[in-house]
Amino acid sequence: MDEMKILANAIVLGASALGAGAAMIAGIGPGIGEGYCGGKAVEAIARQPEASGAVTRTMIIGDAIAETTGIYALVVALLLLYANPIFGSLTSALEKFGG
Amino acid sequence: MSTALLMAADAGFTIQGPLVVASWEMFGMTWNLTESVIVQWIVIVLLAVLFIVLGSGLKVVPTTRRQALAELLVTFVIDMVDGSMGEKYKSYRPYVGMLIIYVVVCNLIGLLGLRSPTADVSVTATLAIITFVMTQYNRAKTGGVKGYFKAFVDPMPFMLPSNIIGEISNPVSMALRLFGNMVAGMVIGGLIYFALGSFMPPVVIPAIASLYFDIFSGVIQAYIFTMLTMSYISNAECE
Repeated sequence: MDEMKILANAIVLGASALGAGAAMIAGIGPGIGEGYCGGKAVEAIARQPEASGAVTRTMIIGDAIAETTGIYALVVALLLLYANPIFGSLTSALEKFGG
Repeated sequence: MSTALLMAADAGFTIQGPLVVASWEMFGMTWNLTESVIVQWIVIVLLAVLFIVLGSGLKVVPTTRRQALAELLVTFVIDMVDGSMGEKYKSYRPYVGMLIIYVVVCNLIGLLGLRSPTADVSVTATLAIITFVMTQYNRAKTGGVKGYFKAFVDPMPFMLPSNIIGEISNPVSMALRLFGNMVAGMVIGGLIYFALGSFMPPVVIPAIASLYFDIFSGVIQAYIFTMLTMSYISNAECE
């Protein structure tokens, strides 16, 4: 019984680490989006240097919006690593199974 | 062998949530007084002292450096609010000014060794809910009851569910953005100290990482939080 518990815990630990890594693949999206946003801002400032203040402000807001999905992925990854909700259900399932 | 694996996982690097200083039972719920609340009290006292010092003994023509700094801060806030919300949102200036200064100080107080209150989702969610309430208030105030509900079926009635989801996702994304950025800085800082612990004394490298993740990210995120608050409130205005 003890060995099975350890095995189950190990599987959940490993799968959670893999899941956290896989969740962070979402970092690609914000990376592309923010890069595009920054590039366009540089173009705009090159064309109209006097508007650089307004362009930079808008760019930062756009970056923040683009970053949202990345932050969601980060929150999921952090949950899996540090506040894993799966362990709770695993413990109750093992108790039910093992009696 | 499997036990060793689990023990290794236990001994490794972990991130602690905010410490619970005290907790009590009231109205059938457990109320926790956490570290974040205590640090926020410290921030509030610091800011109160700062503003009392800055705001005392003002003259029409500034003669002291203290007053010049105070005027710089006030002008910055007024320009920011007027630039993105317009002259008619004058009454939001104190809140917006408080918000940006408070969030900047909350983000940067991590540098003093305290735990940043903004690295706690309940603090950022509180700030985001205040923004949400102000957004709804502004919509109801400018549009009346009819305009308020009409905004949800705009432009077509079948858009109602997506409008409601869009409205709720604003505070969620604001809260998680600030929280995620501050926790990411904390985790990366902790990981760098953990990784350096076995090779060399933690000098130089953590400082460089902290420059970006704590200072730059903290100031930029506070600015973004404030800008988003202002744009959500002024976008909620009904025609």
